[in-house]
Amino acid sequence: MADILSTGVSGLLAFQQALDVTSNNIANAATPGYSVENINLTPQPGQSTAGGFLGSGVAVQGISRAYSELLAQQVRSSQSSYSSYNTLATQAGQIDNMLSSSNTGLTASLQSFVNALQTLSTSPSSTAARQALLSQGQALAQQINSYNSQIQTYGSDLEQQIGADIGQVNSVAGSIARLNTQIASDLASGQTPNQLMDQRDQLIDQLSQYVSVTTSTQSDGSMNVYIGNGQSLVTGGVAQQLAAIPNQYNPTVSDVGVTSAGGTTDVTAEISGGELGGLIASRSQVLDPAQNALGLVSVGLATIMNQQQASGMDLTGAQGQPMFAVGAVQTDPSSTNAGGATLTVTRTNLSALTADDYQLSYQGGSWQLKDATSGQSVALSGAGTVASPFQAAGLSIVVGGGAPANGDSYLIQPTEQAPAGLALLLTSPSQIAAASLAQTAASAGNTGSGTISSATITAPASWVPGSYTLTFTSPTAYQVTNGGGTVVASGAYSAGQPISFAGAQVSVNGAPAAGDTFSITSSTAANSGDNSNVLAMIGALTANTLAGGTTSLTSAANNLVTQVGVTTQQAQANASAQQSVNQDASTARSNLSGVNLDAEAAKMLQFQQAYQAMAQVIQASGTMFTSLINAIRYG
Amino acid sequence: MTISTLTFQTNALAEMEALQSALTQTQTQLSTGSKLPNAAANPAATEQVNQLNMALAASQQYVSNGTAATSNLQLAQSALTSATNTLQSARDLAVEANNSALSLSDRQDLATQLQQLQQALLGAANSTDPAGNYLFAGTASGTQPFAQTGASVSYQGDGQVNQVQIGPDQSISAGDSGDAVFMNIPAGNGTFTTAATGANTGSGSIDTGSVTNAAAWVPDTYTIAFTSPTQYQVTNSGGTVVASGAYSSGSAIAFDGVQVTVSGAPASGDQFTVAPAGKASVFSTLSNLITTLNSSSLSSGQLTTRIGTAIQQIDNALTGFGYVQASVGGRLNAITTAANGAQTTQTQLQGTISTLSSTDYAAAATQLSTEELALQAAQQSYASIAKLSLFNYLG
Repeated sequence: MADILSTGVSGLLAFQQALDVTSNNIANAATPGYSVENINLTPQPGQSTAGGFLGSGVAVQGISRAYSELLAQQVRSSQSSYSSYNTLATQAGQIDNMLSSSNTGLTASLQSFVNALQTLSTSPSSTAARQALLSQGQALAQQINSYNSQIQTYGSDLEQQIGADIGQVNSVAGSIARLNTQIASDLASGQTPNQLMDQRDQLIDQLSQYVSVTTSTQSDGSMNVYIGNGQSLVTGGVAQQLAAIPNQYNPTVSDVGVTSAGGTTDVTAEISGGELGGLIASRSQVLDPAQNALGLVSVGLATIMNQQQASGMDLTGAQGQPMFAVGAVQTDPSSTNAGGATLTVTRTNLSALTADDYQLSYQGGSWQLKDATSGQSVALSGAGTVASPFQAAGLSIVVGGGAPANGDSYLIQPTEQAPAGLALLLTSPSQIAAASLAQTAASAGNTGSGTISSATITAPASWVPGSYTLTFTSPTAYQVTNGGGTVVASGAYSAGQPISFAGAQVSVNGAPAAGDTFSITSSTAANSGDNSNVLAMIGALTANTLAGGTTSLTSAANNLVTQVGVTTQQAQANASAQQSVNQDASTARSNLSGVNLDAEAAKMLQFQQAYQAMAQVIQASGTMFTSLINAIRYG
Repeated sequence: MTISTLTFQTNALAEMEALQSALTQTQTQLSTGSKLPNAAANPAATEQVNQLNMALAASQQYVSNGTAATSNLQLAQSALTSATNTLQSARDLAVEANNSALSLSDRQDLATQLQQLQQALLGAANSTDPAGNYLFAGTASGTQPFAQTGASVSYQGDGQVNQVQIGPDQSISAGDSGDAVFMNIPAGNGTFTTAATGANTGSGSIDTGSVTNAAAWVPDTYTIAFTSPTQYQVTNSGGTVVASGAYSSGSAIAFDGVQVTVSGAPASGDQFTVAPAGKASVFSTLSNLITTLNSSSLSSGQLTTRIGTAIQQIDNALTGFGYVQASVGGRLNAITTAANGAQTTQTQLQGTISTLSSTDYAAAATQLSTEELALQAAQQSYASIAKLSLFNYLG
């Protein structure tokens, strides 16, 4: 009877606890990160009797939570991939929306500029057409300036966000370390702190939004956390501190460092995944390339227009002045440089110029250039002196100042600053050099059918103003003499082929007769109705002048829009894929760890009924006891 | 498999949110009419649309270039028409003057009329566009191209002509240099000029001649000298006799691939010259004619010779004007053809741009109703499933 009672009491207590667990499960049905808890019941050891081992009730062995480390890891890795792509998609989407408008976008503005030149070509001396061209040039420069400042605003927002994310990571890492300590001490005392472990898991989930995370559980129950490509963040009860540290070349750009007693180590390269990884990727895959590509378009525009301006004559009869100013090459020494060398870098060859950044370093007694964007090394020609500068990637590099130290490096950004500095230099409509520097004419006495083209000044620096005479010494041979009668060029005549001399170029068509002459003379203000230099400007703007003569200015602008669009689209697609992977992983984890109210209801019913049955057992034990007492009293 | 109640709720919510976001996107497509809100929506199509838009803008610009050129070419055309009419009148006067029965005062009357015509021709040659740019000054369009000093007119413009782009690979000359139109007109018959020497005493005149065999023509100055009223001989500048014979008025004298005709009665010792042709401006031709008509000292042979040369040169100029007018007309046609072609191109470009970037309303509307249906189904099923709970039946 005593056994019935104690068995009944053990069951009563066990089912009461079971109901406690179930009610706790129901209470946490809507708590994110809560792992459903199960009561583990075990029969109490039996007592040996003559009739055999008699059971002595039930015991609560423990309360365990439904949890799988594998499923948790799947949720976290998909979460950090999603966060990373989503951040990239958001950042790229901002640039994409800015550049995308097809009516007001960069390509439309460039085309409007070309159209303004076309209009000018129909009335070269019209002040209205000249003013319209200046306005278009101004609008184009301002549009590129505004794109650039928008990109820089996104860039500085991004730097702030990196700082904020690092703060979040540090705070979460600190909490994880504290929980590790608590959990280890609870486990040492023999109890499993399910709720603390849920909390820790949820903090690690949270961390995976900021950066990719891997974990390893230690024997004392604490969890070591590694971020990115294996950088340790939490070890037992100790959390490392991340810090935003200035980039060695550009202090306004934040790198990620880990602070320890020995100093701060740059771990930017180790960071991947999560919002932080996404931000760092956005900077290197979207913002910097977009600004550089915008720079290449700016440099192309300024170089072409300035060159053509120099080949032409303005309305006052003077040689054309540069039309656009553009930002110079940005060169930054590393903050770790020990030597005193300084670089002077200028752009020399538009066709070879790229939108990449370059790193020049001094290694083992020689200078080496590397494309910082692609990582490829680039061959340097020249000696780096003023007389023989290094030539590479359309740049001329002169090394001056003091002696370099081994390992010194410099970041060279050929186009990064170009869009910020793009500005229209011409202030008066008369400054547009619409006319060629030279005019051509056929002599009245010519007997052949030869016609001469307008003169193009291909090398303004070599052009010597004056009067030149192109004489056909025979129908198949020509010579060009200058005003002093000196022959400056001669050759065999081929219809339509360029004849070059003194920096100028003309071509003759038809069949000139022997003795026919053509004059090429410096333009004067009277020739301001000439449009041939405007036509040359249009030709140069639409010609393939970039990327080794494969890309025109307008295609470069269009490529920029497309590239950003492709990056955005891919990031969006990846984000969407990772989101659904994450959703699947979360569902799988919740199916294991989550609370199902129907299941809890059934359990509740089950435990309630068992509890009631146990109560009946106790009542039976009472009845038995009463029967016995009554038997004794009346027996 | 156990489904977590919380996950069932959050997943159902996420699905509905996704459907709602798809609905919003489709609705945006319908309300904006564009399926390319940004490049990320379809980078390849955006790149193409940008290119096509540039081509469209360029094509429109070519048409407006053509329109600008048309206006100048039409002005040039009408100036040339007026110049042709004026010159035709001058030719009529010259023909009228080529009559030995006219008295000096008759000829002087004609000369006065010719002076008026020369001024009118000068006016036509100095025509301007509405902006005051001279049409026939080449690229020196701000300078009056034809300036008169006394009886002579000089060209102040230049020989270069602006090209204007009227198509992707098509350019036309936006005008014609006055040098070519009015100044560089072949003198004489184009190959050589003829003249009667001033000291001639007979009444012989020489016509402008013609080329019978271009290959045999040796450009040189030839002298046809009459050794007697019935004998002539032709010598070149080296003094070599290249032809000689008996003179008969009106018969051809042939030498070195050309022939000339001397008429009238030349006196012994009279000479006529044949020289390679240079260029003569239409103004100098008229000035010379006026001088000839006003002259009281010229013999009838010289008069006839000079007036004949003038008529020939006026004809040369008229032919030249005709060529230029035909060329201007050709260019005007080219502009019209290019503009018509551009119209077709633009329609095609707009069609392609629209296909790439504009909403396909039928497809979008269908998609909208499909998405609507899906969202409704999700909402209804959620509402009915979410109600199910074992707790409803406990107690």
